[in-house]
Amino acid sequence: MRDRIPLSLAVSGLIVLHGICLFAGFLSPYDPTEQNRTLSFAAPARIHFFDNQGVFHLRPFVYNGNSTRVPLRFCVDAHLFGVAAPDRIFLLGSDDYGRDQLSRLLHGGRISLVGGWLATILSLGIGVVVGTFAGFRGGWVDEAMMRVAELFLALPWLYLLLAVRALLPLTVDPETTFLLVTATIGVIGWARPARLVRSAVLEAKERAYVQVARGFGAGSLHLVMRHILPETRSVVFTQAALLVPLYILAEVTLSFLGLGLGEPAPSWGNMLAPLRQYHVLTSFWWMVAPAFFLVPLCLCFQVCADALTKSNTPC
Amino acid sequence: MLNKHTVILLALSSLPLLQAAPGSLEELAIAESDAGSYGGTLIIGQKAEPKTLNPVTALDAPSRDIIRRMTADLISIRRDTKAIEPALAKSWTTSKDGRVYTLQLRRGLRFSDGHPFDADDVIFTFQLYLDEKIHSPQRDLLTIAGKPILVRKIDPFTVRFELSQPYAAAERIFDSIAILPKHLLEPAYLNGSLNLAWSLNSAPAAIAGLGPFQLKEYRPGERIVLQRNPYYWKKDRKGNRLPYLDKLEFRFTGGEDAQILQFVSGGTDVLNRVSAKSFSALLKEKSTQGDKLVDLGPGLEYNFLFFNLGPVDPIKNPSVAGKQIWFRQTAFRLALSEAIDRDAIVQLVYGGRGTPIWGHVTPGNKAWRNESIPKPARSVPRARERLSAAGFRWNNQGRLLDSNGNLVEFSIIASASNAERLQMATIIQDDLKALGIRVQVVSLEFRALLDRVLNTRDYEASLLGLGSGDVDPNPEINVWLSSGASHLWNPEQKQPATPWEAEIDQLMRRQMIELDRNKRKILYDRLQQVAAEQLPLICLASPNILVAGRKSIGNFRPSIMDHYTLWNVDQLYFKYPR
Amino acid sequence: MLKSFLLRRLQHTLLLLTLVSMGSFLLLELAPGDFLTETTLNPRISPQTLASLRDRFGLTKSLPERYFYWVRSAAQGEFGISFAYDMPVRALIWPRMLSTLLLTATSLGLAWMIALPLGVWAAARQGSWPDRLLVLSTSGFLSIPELVFACGILIIAAKTQWLRMGGLPLAVCVLTPVSLPLLLRHIRAGVLTASGATYVRAARAHGVSEMRLWFRHVLPAASHPLISLFGLSVAGLLSSSLLVEVVVGWPGLGPLFLEAVGARDFYVVTGVVSLSAIFLAAGTLLADMLLYFCDPRIRMN
Repeated sequence: MRDRIPLSLAVSGLIVLHGICLFAGFLSPYDPTEQNRTLSFAAPARIHFFDNQGVFHLRPFVYNGNSTRVPLRFCVDAHLFGVAAPDRIFLLGSDDYGRDQLSRLLHGGRISLVGGWLATILSLGIGVVVGTFAGFRGGWVDEAMMRVAELFLALPWLYLLLAVRALLPLTVDPETTFLLVTATIGVIGWARPARLVRSAVLEAKERAYVQVARGFGAGSLHLVMRHILPETRSVVFTQAALLVPLYILAEVTLSFLGLGLGEPAPSWGNMLAPLRQYHVLTSFWWMVAPAFFLVPLCLCFQVCADALTKSNTPC
Repeated sequence: MLNKHTVILLALSSLPLLQAAPGSLEELAIAESDAGSYGGTLIIGQKAEPKTLNPVTALDAPSRDIIRRMTADLISIRRDTKAIEPALAKSWTTSKDGRVYTLQLRRGLRFSDGHPFDADDVIFTFQLYLDEKIHSPQRDLLTIAGKPILVRKIDPFTVRFELSQPYAAAERIFDSIAILPKHLLEPAYLNGSLNLAWSLNSAPAAIAGLGPFQLKEYRPGERIVLQRNPYYWKKDRKGNRLPYLDKLEFRFTGGEDAQILQFVSGGTDVLNRVSAKSFSALLKEKSTQGDKLVDLGPGLEYNFLFFNLGPVDPIKNPSVAGKQIWFRQTAFRLALSEAIDRDAIVQLVYGGRGTPIWGHVTPGNKAWRNESIPKPARSVPRARERLSAAGFRWNNQGRLLDSNGNLVEFSIIASASNAERLQMATIIQDDLKALGIRVQVVSLEFRALLDRVLNTRDYEASLLGLGSGDVDPNPEINVWLSSGASHLWNPEQKQPATPWEAEIDQLMRRQMIELDRNKRKILYDRLQQVAAEQLPLICLASPNILVAGRKSIGNFRPSIMDHYTLWNVDQLYFKYPR
Repeated sequence: MLKSFLLRRLQHTLLLLTLVSMGSFLLLELAPGDFLTETTLNPRISPQTLASLRDRFGLTKSLPERYFYWVRSAAQGEFGISFAYDMPVRALIWPRMLSTLLLTATSLGLAWMIALPLGVWAAARQGSWPDRLLVLSTSGFLSIPELVFACGILIIAAKTQWLRMGGLPLAVCVLTPVSLPLLLRHIRAGVLTASGATYVRAARAHGVSEMRLWFRHVLPAASHPLISLFGLSVAGLLSSSLLVEVVVGWPGLGPLFLEAVGARDFYVVTGVVSLSAIFLAAGTLLADMLLYFCDPRIRMN
């Protein structure tokens, strides 16, 4: 029972993190694309309860550029918190256009999570179908499919991504483009899960009760649906828990190659991409903010994957 | 500076004096700079590695950067004064009609392998560049009005160039045309393998030039090392033969950020060009305190937004064709230009180290810039006025509609690998919201972008930058002639599509054959004025040229012209060991 | 029997290579633009010159024609001519492959040397707090994007000047931590599973010392997944470091490959891809061979 504790903690962590991104509109103080050109790379605001004279204020406040007190306001204009305009509050600082990092982080989580899940579902979906089919049928079908899987692992897919990106009509908005690129990665990524599912199927096929069921004249479809597929469940869940963070992180690499989500919409990948620039990494530490979210999220997924792994299956 | 009827005797000018070294036949040039001391290796961070060392076929900038250090040309453009100076040609005369140039070569010079240099090498060199079978990218430069330049040997040290028509500032085309050794390359040329000669795998002994340095070693993907050419043809005022440095090492570092890191950690001595953001980070860096971090001011690069004004098939591409009704209206382009916040671009993209521009000749090019073209500050109300005068109106959500009631929206394509231009596009996107125009920024990989602009013409607007190689207007010719391949908004037209393009064509052609510098300036001023009235290119900003070098480097005199830091590498020296 | 097995694997590899090279050509055809597209922007070069250059590079030929040219050239050992370098692809790839191998072999060797004892040690203390800490920190490591991690290490190295930029130690310092966590997790999991076997319990009941138990009994029992894992490591020798090489400026295949992709220098791309396919095949073959020699059960079949 003790082993259950990390799992339930991780699952509730995931629910909370997904929930935060879902309610980004309310939780974030600003529109993620709103530029404040005079406030480029503003440092994170510090919230005070005591003012310069040491006087305590019940309502927390921040100091603006002219060192005047700006009190926080809560639940106004359908935002959880904010300050009266024209002042701005950047809890996690601002980026080069002076856009609020916190708002971008929360809104960006949506598209990153959707992308991660989408690619995972595609990879796993195709992987399960191909893996089950190959493992169950065996023989030349199996052989051929595994060769194709090898081929898929070896080809230079970067070109396909460049092509997908470049051949799309220009009117398609950046989010859709990004999801299509991510979906392409998901589709290409079927080979690894397929191999794992196949070995799980091979194992299941040899189980005594499957053999018995077959002996009683059970049809192939029935066998697969009732006996074989359930055996692959643990592999599938483990893979899902591993792949979602993998695909979310893949977006950082995509942004590095110029294939990430286009401006001005935020995503964790395109927010982290500037970090490879020397001046950002040395001067503006708050640009790593997405990592504050990404690391716990991935951690929760990893813990889930660990807990779900009944048997080891090196992939 | 040039008078068309005079014989130009450079010995009389303020440029380096010519004088035969007493007791020898070598006619060395004298460099006008502080006398330095010998020794040391200068290490330069290079973003990409060279692809070839063959000056005839090299297409890419890194190759040219390195080849340039190993070879010499007949007449050079001095990067600091932007004037021409004699190089391998010690003097020349021009015929009255401006078509015939007779060049006197320096005597007694030797290639880096010790083989003597004479007119035969020059004749051979131009034969290579002009040979159609070799496909040299320089061939077009040496082809004037469709006819290649004729080159004839008069005597072993005199060469005559004949142009099919007068060509303004013709001396400038000799810059960077590397003179090659006939004795080394003729066999390859005769058996048709010249394209494969002087590759990166060639033995150093097989390569020789007249530049200050010669090849010593190449390590694939890692570095290329050049060593001092003992026969180089320049000396300092004290009579010491240049160059001072023993070795020149180019280290291939990858991207700009890796380059900065190398410099910060002391691995390299020179940063040829840095972005404004990295520059300000370097200024804060402790380990580079005291080093020469130089802001040279505006360079020659201009960044601009342009619309697709070319013919688009209305059946294959109805949406672009429909939008061209707006793009082709001058008032629309002018209004957009007025709504763009150029100061914000300079501030956010270049951290203030740049200049807003309204025309393609940047403030860095004082000699040719038309100062009288208007530089209107951002004004959204004026832009809106202009739009409503042109029949545009706004719906109740504040979105812009054209006279037929269509929503005005378009996409801008920009290169994904150029963060600065992408940032400009994002700023413009936000600026145009104020006019009720929704803009989509599409970042494309550079080749995919160019394919759309130049081949398929399937785009609405694009953001690009061009960097002139020279201050003179002539290299820009293919951008401005309506038949030019890089006439970006509507390339390779058979007939100019608009009256103003016809006027630009005419101005460009006239200035090209006009030998009087002042008359040329008037023509080019008019061209800039037409461009500013019609705005085929909505110019945005020009970045400052920012370079860095160790404090120990002497004679470090960077220039806003390419190659910014190493143009006078023959005179660079270490004041004290590193 | 071993011979026929090897022969069949060789056939597979050849088939894979053919398909990979064909697939690579097809994908290249999909990407817009060609090697000379960028040159079009150079205002000093005319369209006529461009057309003749295209002709020279064979870019005007049809796809099958180009493919057969490549196959012929590959059979002669040249693998086509790089457009950018005007040089046979083999001469271009070979030195860079060696330097990539130097980097990946060093850091993978190092990763294995750390991960194997650490994995066994953690498995032996399953559930204890050092084990949990280890698992948690590997998870944490896996959550950091490798590019961000690499940039961080680079900045630290540059600021402190401990490691020379572009040198092997620095590149290894970046690549080893990137590959270590996953390796560690797999080794730990493999060893844990093996430790559940009945004979291990029997050995423990016989009072075999812990040290001897884990390294003499459990580790060999876990050899199956470990050997597969090792095969995968070998398979990734050429492909695992591409991006890291670009970031740290290591003169390997990574920068060459990415540049060639951008420049549409497609014989170079196909060459690199075919080479990594060979390594992929070799890795699995190596694993199978090792299993064959280590595991008597497989030899029986």
